[in-house]
Amino acid sequence: MSASTMAGSPGQTETRAIKRSPYPGWFFTPAAIVYTVLFLAPTFASLYFSLTRWTLFDATFIGLDNFAQFLREPFLIKGLINTVIYAVVTSGLKVVVGLLLAVMLTSQIVARGYLRSVIFFPVLVSTVGVGITFTVLMHPTQGMINEGLAIFGITGPGWLTDPNLALYSVALVDVWKGVGLATVIYIAGLVAIPRDYYEAARIDGATPWQNFWYVTLPLCRPATSTVITLSFIGGLRTFDLIWAMTKGGPGFASDTIASVIYKQYQAGFYGLSTAGNVVLFILIAVLVVPLTMFLNRKQGHE
Amino acid sequence: MAGLELKQLRKNYGKVEVIKGIDLTIEHGEFVVFVGPSGCGKSTLLRMIAGLEDISGGELRIGDKVVNAVEPRDRGIAMVFQSYALYPHMTVYDNVGFGLKLARTPKEVRDQKIREAARILQMEHLLDRKPSQLSGGQRQRVAIGRAIVRQPEVFLFDEPLSNLDAALRVDMRMEISKLHNDLGATMIYVTHDQVEAMTLADKIVVLDGGVVQQVGAPIELYQRPANLFVAGFIGSPKMNFVSVSADSVSGDIATVSGPDVVGVPVTLPSRKVAPGDKLTLGVRPHDLVVAASGSIVGRVGLVERLGNETIVNLELPSGASWLAVLEGDQALKRGESLALDVDPAKALLFDDAGQAIPR
Amino acid sequence: MKKRASIIGGAAAIAATFVVFVIPFIFIVLMAFKDRQQSALRDFSWPTGFHLWENVFEVVKTRNWMMITAFINSSIITVVSVTLLVIFAAMVGYVLARRRTRWNGLIEFLILAGLMVPPAVVPTIWLLQGLKLFGTLHGMILVEVAYNLPFSIILYRAFVSTIPRDLDEAAIIDGARPLDVFFRVVLPLLWPVTVTNIVVQSVGIFNDFTNPLYYLPGNANATVQLTLYNFQSQFSTAYNLLFTNILLITIPPLLVFLFFNRQIVAGMTAGAVKG
Ligand SMILES: Nc1ncnc2c1ncn2[C@@H]1O[C@H](COP(=O)(O)OP(=O)(O)OP(=O)(O)O)[C@@H](O)[C@H]1O
Ligand SMILES: [Mg+2]
Repeated sequence: MSASTMAGSPGQTETRAIKRSPYPGWFFTPAAIVYTVLFLAPTFASLYFSLTRWTLFDATFIGLDNFAQFLREPFLIKGLINTVIYAVVTSGLKVVVGLLLAVMLTSQIVARGYLRSVIFFPVLVSTVGVGITFTVLMHPTQGMINEGLAIFGITGPGWLTDPNLALYSVALVDVWKGVGLATVIYIAGLVAIPRDYYEAARIDGATPWQNFWYVTLPLCRPATSTVITLSFIGGLRTFDLIWAMTKGGPGFASDTIASVIYKQYQAGFYGLSTAGNVVLFILIAVLVVPLTMFLNRKQGHE
Repeated sequence: MAGLELKQLRKNYGKVEVIKGIDLTIEHGEFVVFVGPSGCGKSTLLRMIAGLEDISGGELRIGDKVVNAVEPRDRGIAMVFQSYALYPHMTVYDNVGFGLKLARTPKEVRDQKIREAARILQMEHLLDRKPSQLSGGQRQRVAIGRAIVRQPEVFLFDEPLSNLDAALRVDMRMEISKLHNDLGATMIYVTHDQVEAMTLADKIVVLDGGVVQQVGAPIELYQRPANLFVAGFIGSPKMNFVSVSADSVSGDIATVSGPDVVGVPVTLPSRKVAPGDKLTLGVRPHDLVVAASGSIVGRVGLVERLGNETIVNLELPSGASWLAVLEGDQALKRGESLALDVDPAKALLFDDAGQAIPR
Repeated sequence: MKKRASIIGGAAAIAATFVVFVIPFIFIVLMAFKDRQQSALRDFSWPTGFHLWENVFEVVKTRNWMMITAFINSSIITVVSVTLLVIFAAMVGYVLARRRTRWNGLIEFLILAGLMVPPAVVPTIWLLQGLKLFGTLHGMILVEVAYNLPFSIILYRAFVSTIPRDLDEAAIIDGARPLDVFFRVVLPLLWPVTVTNIVVQSVGIFNDFTNPLYYLPGNANATVQLTLYNFQSQFSTAYNLLFTNILLITIPPLLVFLFFNRQIVAGMTAGAVKG
């Protein structure tokens, strides 16, 4: 006895099963509550409070005045520009130095383990500790850096006291502390490149430089994109290192938006401080979204 | 006690319907094998029975209970996965005993059941190992052991042997068969392997495109496939097909001809064919015999001489390619012309909708 | 020939990294061994006497044993928030990886937003005050959890999707209820990524300075980072004490680094290679 069944019209006997999913939706709840209350809610609230003069007890709506002030006050504009400079300098240096270190550490060099540990360890050290240490080391007359330079007959600059230099000095320390992370990310990207590519390139007679330029660089682009995104966002948001080293000084020479936010908060200008937050948020959105789109675009033909 | 009944069972993922209304009755203690091409819905159907996929429509009964909305653990089933799905962090002992532990079975009872299962499957020496320390065959034993201790009414297997090498597969196949005899439980088994299906099954269910094509005993499907799909799917090498039309019908015999064949007689007691009907003739490669006056003539292509039999690729006049498996060793030359014949009782006819014309 | 080049290159690299990366740490250690007078010179010289224990003792007892309180506070914050983070993030990552719903897109967007958007501090303070949590360890812990959830969830989600779903299903057939599947089958298998999470987040939270600065004002609930920051002005003439303090708070990350180097690197580079 053989039966052959032809399909009837679909869905005529809908008996929706009322079985529970084995993956309970309430697993989201604890995280969702904490995240909503302490992150999402304040973020949305900031959109309103940035439009007010605010004492924490009552808020007077003043429209876009806070933002207008941001664009008027020279020291606030300075902070805005500094933030971008800082982010560009730190992420740029981390990409270049991180990639070079990673290439070095994936080659046949001796003492790889030692080098990797030494470069990575500062990532784990307290930023405040690093900041204080380098403030001492960068002292114009008694700091070890300038004393070291003096041995070679070089008169070192006032790293943190020269208004034109302070921001870059802090950025340099940021790179010192953070390049280890960029390096390990690049190492992970480099070891994932199949050896075949290098062998093919060698058969084609590529020089080491061509190898680097035409094989390594394009193929570790995911790593580059991660490093840039991470360190660029990090750079835009940096507060602790700047605060530990210069407090935005001398004057306002090394202020960034994050330090301005803190200063306004300390001074009791809560509305203005919150507006700074929104400005930083907008800045990140405006710079990072196109940046990631650019970094993750489909790779064209070489 | 625990047979199964599927009534117009359906499954859709969003708009796509993958199981299109399946009716099937499985008796208690039967060994049923689902076969069909990849993607036809075998696993989906099995998982619906297990309770791992929601049922979109229709009714599923296990025993005398409708189980559409019953949790898997209350369906009286156990399942063996293709990937074995052993818990990597537990020993074999704990893997086998996990279900009992969840059911809060007392420790002594649990221990006794685990050891019993281990004895049946001859894996007592493996109980303290982790899955990563086992070979493929041993893992499969553990997976089966895990199913046995639950003493289910219905065992479900989804291609359990496909990750094993050929020799081991034969051993495990016999062991599963033996297990079925010993336990007397209902077993539903999904496979790609024809030999597994033919040797294990009491009943084979052929699926295609989410629809049951035919249900029956293995030999019945082989000898009397319900349609072109089943005819082509069951049996290896595949059945040969050619379009023909009926010349004449006299007595039990219909004679058919086509561009490639002339006057092939086919036994057809039901006489459901009228002269002029457009039909498809199906002949199994094993049913072809060399005959000088044969009604099927083609040019010899590739010849594989295996000693006990000879497999011949035959090019028919229209360019269609047939396969013949001939008895004994035949020294045929490429390019020579070969005439074949078929026992009228073994040739099959299908109507233009692809349905077999019943005998 | 090639080998020699690699040895020379290696030696140069060792020398360069030693100057750039190791000397600052040696400087910290040397300073912590010096007495006040010698440390005031702030030069790279051998300590004239062994003053480490005196320095440690003095740092610890400053401001009424503030250091001890701070270490306790930091430990509480770190341990509790990492515990909560691991549990909450594992739950979310698990369901997010396993269950496809129309909410997934939104949830993933919120997670990415959490990685990018800087927290709005003053509104958060205002909210914490409303909840009577401002300036308390509880509040600080919840803030750390909220800010670090996205990263942990991403780690967990990526790892859960490498665990075959068959295992969940085998457990379900074996009679496991949803909580059994999670706690008895999946969670034990998540151990490697849990270690990574614990290590990375502990270091981050222990070293956090900005958030305690905003949300834990005052001395009662100071953390070690805040204490160090405050000592900076107090010890401005006692560099030996300042650097002893730095040395002390560098020890926990150093221990973590020595024992969990691999997991940290794995956690921090997660997601860098895919794409
Ligand atoms: N979660 C899903 N969402 C959408 N479609 C699915 C899903 N799972 C399965 N399908 C589709 O359902 C059909 C049946 O799949 P199923 O796994 O049952 O096939 P199968 O017969 O077991 O195939 P195989 O022999 O390859 O294992 C396939 O076409 C598949 O693409
Ligand atoms: Mg399947």
